[in-house]
Amino acid sequence: MSATSGVTLYHWEPNANSGKPMLALFEKGVAFDSHYLDLLNFDQHRPDYLAINPAGTIPAMTHGDLVLTESTAIMEYVDEAFPGPRLMPADAKDAWRVRWWMKFMDQWLAPSFSMIGWSVFVGPSVRSRDPAELEQAIERIPMPERRVAWRKAISGAFPPEEMAESQRRVALGIGYLEEALGQREWLASDHYSLADINGFNLAYALPLSQPALSNDTLTPNIMRWLRAIYARPATKACWALGRTDMARRVTILESEPA
Amino acid sequence: MSAILYHGEPNGPSLTVLAAAFEKEADVTLARVDLAAGERHGDRVPHAFEVAQSIEGEGPVLVADGVAMADSVFLACYLDDTGTGPALRPADPYARWQMMAWCRYVIERVAPAAAYLGLAAGPPQTVPAGIASADLAERWRDATAGRFDPAKLADSRTKITLAVEKIEAQLADGRDWLMGDFSIADLESYAWLAGMPALVPDAFAGKPLTEAWLARVRARPAVARALALATVAAPETMWAPGPEINRWG
Repeated sequence: MSATSGVTLYHWEPNANSGKPMLALFEKGVAFDSHYLDLLNFDQHRPDYLAINPAGTIPAMTHGDLVLTESTAIMEYVDEAFPGPRLMPADAKDAWRVRWWMKFMDQWLAPSFSMIGWSVFVGPSVRSRDPAELEQAIERIPMPERRVAWRKAISGAFPPEEMAESQRRVALGIGYLEEALGQREWLASDHYSLADINGFNLAYALPLSQPALSNDTLTPNIMRWLRAIYARPATKACWALGRTDMARRVTILESEPA
Repeated sequence: MSAILYHGEPNGPSLTVLAAAFEKEADVTLARVDLAAGERHGDRVPHAFEVAQSIEGEGPVLVADGVAMADSVFLACYLDDTGTGPALRPADPYARWQMMAWCRYVIERVAPAAAYLGLAAGPPQTVPAGIASADLAERWRDATAGRFDPAKLADSRTKITLAVEKIEAQLADGRDWLMGDFSIADLESYAWLAGMPALVPDAFAGKPLTEAWLARVRARPAVARALALATVAAPETMWAPGPEINRWG
C-alpha cells in the first residue's frame, strides 16, 4: 500500500494495541503504509525497528519526520491531525468520558484480557521453539517489564492468583461494558468515538473467548455494539490486514443475533 | 451553573485539578473532602460508576451539569476545554501527542510509585466503608495493615529515579516547562513528585534543572493558590491509596 499521507504504521495484528491506530486511520480515511511486524517472531525487537522505536513496543507510527508511540495517544493524534469524521465528541464531558473509558480499558481491563490471551495464545505459539533461541530473543527486549512478561508467557508462569484476578476483572468489565452500552448507543457518547475503536480491539472476540459471560442472551448490548462496529467498512478493511486465526475470530460477529 | 470540585489536600491528583481550575479561571465551587479518611466513599460525594471505578484511586471528583467525573489528567483536559484562562495543552497535534503521552507515562508509572511510597510513609488508620472497587479496597486493607511489599517499594523508588532522570533530560535544552509552554504535564508531574524529594532524596541529588523546575511550578500563582488551601503544614505528605502498580511489572 502506498500512501500520500506520509504515514507509516508499524503494527501487528488488528487486535489490542496495534488495532487501535489501524482502525482509527481507516475511520479517518487516511491511507497509510502498513508495515506488519510479527510479534510472535519478535520482529519488534530487531534493530531496524528499534531504530524507529527504541522501546521496542508495538505499534509505532511515523508521519513525515515525526515518530509517535503509545496507541491511545496515537489515536488522539490521528483524529486531530487529519480531516475526516471527528472521533472525539465536541462536548467536553463526553470527551472526558471517552478518555476515562480508554484509560480504564488500557490500564485495568486490557491487561487482564492480555494475561489470559498470552497464556492461551502467545505463550503456546512460541513455546515449541528452541529454548536458546528464545532466550536470545528475550534478551534483546529493551524494556525490563516486557522481558518479565515474555518469560512468564513462554513458561506459562502466571501465578494462579494472578490469573484468577484477571478472570475476575474480565467478568466485571464485561458487566460494566454491558451496562454502559445499555445507557447509550456507543460506549462513551451518542457518537462513534475513539472509545469504541479502543473497546472493539479489546472485545471483538468476546463471544468466542468468554462465551459463558458474553453472548446474545447475557450481553445483548455488547453484541449489538460489536456487530455495529464490525458492519462499518473501516472495520472490514482493517481486519482484512490480519494474518492469523486470532484476527479471524472477528467473523463470529457475522452470526445473526440469537 | 457552577461545577463542584470535591478535592482533598493539595497533593497528587487533587493538586493537579485544583491548580488547573485556577489556571483556567474555571467557575467551580470547592468542596473539601478528607480523601485519606475515605470520605469520597461516603454520602457527600456522588457515587457515579466512573468515580467508584476510577483507577486513579482516591482522587478528586468534578461534578458538572450533573455528570460526576474523575481522573485528574482528564479533569484537567475538561477544565482546559471549558475554562477561560490560557491553554493548558499545546494546539499543535504532535505537541499535544507529546503531552498526552507524557501524562500517560506519569499516570501509569510515576503515580502508582509515588502513591505507594507516600502511603508507606504515612499509612491510613482504618479502611472506610462503602468502597465499591474490590481492588481499591484491597489497597486500603494492605495500607492500614502496613503490608508494603519490599520489592514494590524498591521498584517504586526506581520509578521515581527514572522519572526525575526523564525530567532532567527534558529540561536540558534550557526550557522552563516540560512541553515548552506550561501545560497539564507540568501540573501532573509536579503533583505526584512534590512529596518525593523527602522520600527518595537520592533521585533528586545532582538534578539542578529538576530542582529549579519544581520551584518554578510551585511559584505559579495557580499552584500557590492551590497549596494555600492546605489544612496541614506539609500537604505533600498527605496520601490516600492511589493507582495500583502495574500488574505486568
